[in-house]
Amino acid sequence: MIPSSTAPRRPRHVVAREWAKANLFDGPINTALTLATLAFLAWAVPITVRWLAVDAVGFSGDVASCKAAHGACWAFLRVKGDVILTGTYPFDERWRAQIASLVTVVTVAVALFWRGGFGSLAGLFLAGCLVNLALLSGGFLGLSRVDATRWNGMPLVLFLSVFTMALALPIGIALAIARKAEAPVIRAVAITWIETVRGIPMVAVLFAGVFILPLLLPPGVQISSMISIFVVLTVFHAAYFAEDVRSGLDDFDHGQIEAARAIGLSPWRTLRLVVLPQALRTALPALTNSIIGGFKDTSLVAIVGLYDLMATSRLATADVEWQAYSLEANIVVGIFYLVTCLAVSERFRHLAGNARATRRT
Amino acid sequence: MAATTTLRPTTDAPATDRRPPKPKFTRRKLKRIVWQIAFAVALFAFGYFAHLNVTRNLAASGIAVDFTFLSREAGFDVSEQLIAYTPKDSYARVLLVGLINTLLLAATTLLLATVVGLAIGVASTSRNWLVRMLARTYIELLRNLPKLLIVLAIYLAMVRGLPLVRQAWVLPGGALLANRGLYLPWPDLARGGELLIGLFFFWLAGTIAWSRAVRRHQDATGVRRPVALPAAAALVGVVWLAQIFGLVVIEWSQPKLGGFNIVGGAHLTVQFTALWLSLSIYHASQIAEIVRGGIVSVGRGQHEAAAALGLRPGRILRLIVLPQAVRVIVPPLGNQYLNLIKNTSIALAVGYSDLVGVMNTAVNQTFRPVELMIVVMAVFLAINLTTAAALNWFAAVTRPVGHAR
Repeated sequence: MIPSSTAPRRPRHVVAREWAKANLFDGPINTALTLATLAFLAWAVPITVRWLAVDAVGFSGDVASCKAAHGACWAFLRVKGDVILTGTYPFDERWRAQIASLVTVVTVAVALFWRGGFGSLAGLFLAGCLVNLALLSGGFLGLSRVDATRWNGMPLVLFLSVFTMALALPIGIALAIARKAEAPVIRAVAITWIETVRGIPMVAVLFAGVFILPLLLPPGVQISSMISIFVVLTVFHAAYFAEDVRSGLDDFDHGQIEAARAIGLSPWRTLRLVVLPQALRTALPALTNSIIGGFKDTSLVAIVGLYDLMATSRLATADVEWQAYSLEANIVVGIFYLVTCLAVSERFRHLAGNARATRRT
Repeated sequence: MAATTTLRPTTDAPATDRRPPKPKFTRRKLKRIVWQIAFAVALFAFGYFAHLNVTRNLAASGIAVDFTFLSREAGFDVSEQLIAYTPKDSYARVLLVGLINTLLLAATTLLLATVVGLAIGVASTSRNWLVRMLARTYIELLRNLPKLLIVLAIYLAMVRGLPLVRQAWVLPGGALLANRGLYLPWPDLARGGELLIGLFFFWLAGTIAWSRAVRRHQDATGVRRPVALPAAAALVGVVWLAQIFGLVVIEWSQPKLGGFNIVGGAHLTVQFTALWLSLSIYHASQIAEIVRGGIVSVGRGQHEAAAALGLRPGRILRLIVLPQAVRVIVPPLGNQYLNLIKNTSIALAVGYSDLVGVMNTAVNQTFRPVELMIVVMAVFLAINLTTAAALNWFAAVTRPVGHAR
């Protein structure tokens, strides 16, 4: 290698000053904007930092010191952390709920880096779902039985969001294809399903699960609201996924289908080997949005009486001693959602990037 | 039903046909028809079974699907209403109250979310590093939080953090903010309401005519005359003149502390205010991202060319970048508006009487879930169709000439 003859390095403060001139103080309008923003930050940042850290009571504090302090009360999380995470799940059995949450997280993590086919992926989710159900409900091997109404907090949020969406994805793909089917009856059913669900708010869909779904069952058959919600959430997500997949199918080049048929692939194999891999790749950004949105919206189950993380936070602050610290609970739950959503969307963006790269070759 | 349209017997094809007869009834077609019929039968069986179960389940509670209960007395109160309502009114009336509350929340949120979203979207493409980073942080932060969390956090912060009515904060313009809500000064029209509405339409027509004249003038000479400023001045001037001549009398009702409560002005409850603010900032982040995408889609060259022609930054944005970005922005923005309207149903979480909230109370009182769900679904489908039609119209209007799609 030839030693590169670089220009003498300019002093750092000169570079910094040039950068600031170009990016912050470039003309009167920009200078004014910078100063206004700096003024806002100078006002907001100290208040936030003081509340979060300087005036706050740490994890090891107690109620008395929290009441005396002006800042956040992180001791609340030490005392009420279990309630926020697992709600009314029997206290001595809460390790089961925690392991169930972990199983779901691991399932998702493995799925996000999956290199195998669709079939084994479905097997992975099925296994994760069954392990969750077994751990949460118990009733065997000496594990005491826990009613579904007491599956609260983190395991509920993860179970409902992950496994309803995992089930909804193949249904959504089927719906998207059915919407393009030549058979009018099938097409009509798919369109009705997709458009009705997408037309009404998720809260109304959840209420349909609580109020209408039990009525559809034969008299005498009772299901817990947990199962009803699972079913309607799947129906709901499937409709949104179907629209995303449709956008991928719409972009699809029909010549490829004819080519695939011409070389003797059956319609089913054409779909599975030629159409879907490409359509799903195109649909990936839209699907990512739906998945992130669906995950966030699972919190709405709190409105129909299931205990998600927001509801268990309320449960934690129902204690008179600790009722002033809901903001602390909200912040922690918010950080959980922020981190998971950013991580998942980052991973999907990476996958979409790979997809684009493979298409180009 | 429609499956039979393709069914045409091949046996009686005329033998005199010169071309070889096309196989019109292949095995594949037969299979497809059989499948469809099987599917239709299964669907029908499922529907029949569901219907049977609903009837039997309802009969067990001694009721049948029947909409006449809508005219019965509702007997429960709502958090707020824009039309007269007492618990003695009917269920139909209380559902109407809920619908109006939903529409009010949707309309006000739509307005605020669009304004904030547009501002933050533009800021996130700013050349100013600090502004850009702050805007992006806002977008990434709020887009990745559940809306229920934002609503509950803001609601609790308002209920706990705001002062009691007696120590209400006085905001600029005489508005009061307390833990019972926001109290705004409100114009009371003592006289001339009809005239004012007439004047408004007159002003609207005038503004449209003026902007067309400006466009013509610009096309002819290249000189652009101002539009927004004269229009605003004309509106203020017309109302001011009407007041001077005594044709319109507007009395501003200022909120004041009277006894244990605040009297006068317009009262927005703390539930409404919290929902309005939180849904607005949540959807603003989504809209900002859409706006950002639109602005980025306009090539940098357009920007530089406009700057080279000597346009000021504000004008570059308004005359060159935004009109082109709108084409990219409008379709996803429309979807976002539809989402926003549906998301107002989150109101139930803080006890604001929107349509879904009223439905929930009514279902618990009457146990008529089927009828009430049908009403709510029909209303939302109607709102969606109307909004979608309006958005399609807007997309058609903003589509530039020669860009048929």
